[in-house]
Amino acid sequence: MSRRYDSRTTIFSPEGRLYQIEYAMEAISHAGTVLGVLAKDGVVLAAEKKVTGKLLDLSGAKEGGYGGSGEKIFLLNSNVIGGVAGLTADANSLINYARSAAQQHLLQYNEDIPVELLAQRLCDMKQGYTQYGGLRPFGVSLLYAGYDQHYQFQLYHSDPSGNYSGWKATCIGANNGTAQSLLKQEYKDDIEVKAAISLVLKTMSKTMDSTTLGSEKLEFAVITLDPETKTPKAKIYKPDEIDELLKAEGLAKKEDDNAMKT
Amino acid sequence: MNSIANRFSTTGPLSELKKVQSFEDDEFADSAWGSEAGFGSLAKGVPNFTVPSVPDPSAFLRLHTDDFADPNCRIKIQHGTTTLAFRFQGGVIVAVDSRATAGSYVASGTVKKVIEINPYLLGTMAGGAADCQYWETYLGIHCRLHELRNRERISVSAASKYLSNLVYSYKGMGLSMGTMICGWDKTGPAVFYVDSDGTRLKGDIFSVGSGSTFAYGVLDQGYHWDLTDEEAQELGRRSIYAAGHRDAFSGNTCNLYHVKEDGWKFIGNYDISKLHYDGPGETPGAGYGYDVRIERTAGAHVVAQA
Amino acid sequence: METSFALTGKGYVIVASDTTAARSIVKMKTDEDKIKVVSPHLLMSYSGEPGDTIQFSEYVERNLRLFHIRNNYSLRPSAAASWIRRSLAQSLRSRKPYSVNLMLSGYDVTEEKPHLYWIDYLGTMTEVPFGAHGYGSYFALSLLDRYHDPEATLEEGLATLQRCIEEVAKRLVVSPGKYKVKVVDKDGAREIEL
Repeated sequence: MSRRYDSRTTIFSPEGRLYQIEYAMEAISHAGTVLGVLAKDGVVLAAEKKVTGKLLDLSGAKEGGYGGSGEKIFLLNSNVIGGVAGLTADANSLINYARSAAQQHLLQYNEDIPVELLAQRLCDMKQGYTQYGGLRPFGVSLLYAGYDQHYQFQLYHSDPSGNYSGWKATCIGANNGTAQSLLKQEYKDDIEVKAAISLVLKTMSKTMDSTTLGSEKLEFAVITLDPETKTPKAKIYKPDEIDELLKAEGLAKKEDDNAMKT
Repeated sequence: MNSIANRFSTTGPLSELKKVQSFEDDEFADSAWGSEAGFGSLAKGVPNFTVPSVPDPSAFLRLHTDDFADPNCRIKIQHGTTTLAFRFQGGVIVAVDSRATAGSYVASGTVKKVIEINPYLLGTMAGGAADCQYWETYLGIHCRLHELRNRERISVSAASKYLSNLVYSYKGMGLSMGTMICGWDKTGPAVFYVDSDGTRLKGDIFSVGSGSTFAYGVLDQGYHWDLTDEEAQELGRRSIYAAGHRDAFSGNTCNLYHVKEDGWKFIGNYDISKLHYDGPGETPGAGYGYDVRIERTAGAHVVAQA
Repeated sequence: METSFALTGKGYVIVASDTTAARSIVKMKTDEDKIKVVSPHLLMSYSGEPGDTIQFSEYVERNLRLFHIRNNYSLRPSAAASWIRRSLAQSLRSRKPYSVNLMLSGYDVTEEKPHLYWIDYLGTMTEVPFGAHGYGSYFALSLLDRYHDPEATLEEGLATLQRCIEEVAKRLVVSPGKYKVKVVDKDGAREIEL
């Protein structure tokens, strides 16, 4: 029935829906979970990696770059971290765009781009793909965790339609409903980064399909203020830092798990 | 379609470059904003006016019009002028001379230097006569269109802003205008000075042209806000006379206009030689001229002594 | 001859600009306002080529206003200054550059500090504690080197400004007549009668 209105994104169905966009959102709800929590003194982001396998060579990601494996969590600008859920190829394109937009702002105004403005820039582009003919929308939702002088720490979410909104804590990807209701129960308004980290990891461990958490399945990042310079400091955790953190939180997998794997 | 796809495609160095260039202001083409209400280019501030197809229009113009550098140049632009306008309690007085000079030659003594834009707006002419005539007539078209679209008359402020934006878009291309846009709108009487540099000033008293300093001398001294209509008209006339007398490039006759709440009115055309000897009326010896005035006062002294 | 001064103090910036609009030897107007309030906590004084000054300052004013409408907050003075400098520098490399000299005075509400930027038509920009444009600058800069105090109260700042104005009136051949004075602080921008 809906076939006739599926093939082009620019055409409304008789019920007034844009199916392609709904399908894009559906694609995201099967993607790896990304979870963000806004704290008083920082923002915490965690993501579940779906692509794993014994033969996948992750040695490049171990120590390289800003941390992370470059699959789910990215540094968009020195004051903003992005977490993506959806098609990886689409996401790479959006991240490239976001980084250019942030640099363009720096060039024009000699200041870091405000977080909301960066979200707007991406959403303008995403929206364009829901309207112009012959184009497929981006199959990507993003979380933006960042800091600027206007609104301090912020957490935004944007979806394939080009909508965006600000959150205290939110989750995208698989099982996002479960995670969000957990966050709703646990979140407190004056939460600090330390507690937010625990909250994020706890929620992740409950929502992820696998029973145990480990750096091969998890990406993790925190943005805080440098106590000396009062400038934002983004930290994307490296694999062994994640394992260390998990151990400290008592969520690391048991030794015998490792033994079984090796 | 292709251009849109290009705009949103994120691969390829060319599109990358394009994106960075078009980032800030022109993310959307003008055409994206609708049909411009069917007015086409008229709805935009700047009209389509063909510029001569030479590399540097202003250098070209200068080459053919600068009679100071080359007295044999083909085109001589009318330069010497005195025009004035002032605002007072009873409206606006606009007075101008009527001499057109081309180099040292008096090309005409009967030039109309007040351009009647519409029944409520007057523009004065100094600098290039053709430039003033053409663009102020053009301004008239837009004032009328404004009336038709908005069901009310354009304000003097808006009309003068339109003209100043217009001439600014041709800045450096050789336009030469110094004009006062005068009229009466909801705010009362108003005078704006607009010139081809793109300057636009709101004020009470302005005078433009080679004779303007002479006109200012009389005008500033005789001016106050509470002038009666007759006094104001006399002041305008006398100021133009003063410039016509002292400035070689101004003279012949004085055209006088008075703008009131119900629009402008032409007061009269006065011969400057006649003003010198007889004044505006028909009384011989009642002129504005220095000798004439001294003789009159001397005569009065004689009468007083006798 | 066009002249403008600006100086910072404790929590404020004062700007003064002459009010004459001249054409060759004639003063066409003596009460022209050459300091624009471009956003709630930002003042811009401008001088230079007639026509360009108004067109450029209105261009700036409207772009900052647009930013405010889009984002519900204004650009911070440093960001606005960078943007304006960039606009001038881009214009300089175009077919018809704007010849406008500026002084941008602002109060940054996020860090609660006053800022003053001196910008010329070539796109030179520098943040300064005080600055001047035009012939007046030849007298005022040394005077301000001697008397300026970044911690001065508004009254003291205005007294220093008065010194500049008086010195220029005393020594400059064609000294400007009246000045318009504006100040910007945490409460926004306003005009001040000297």
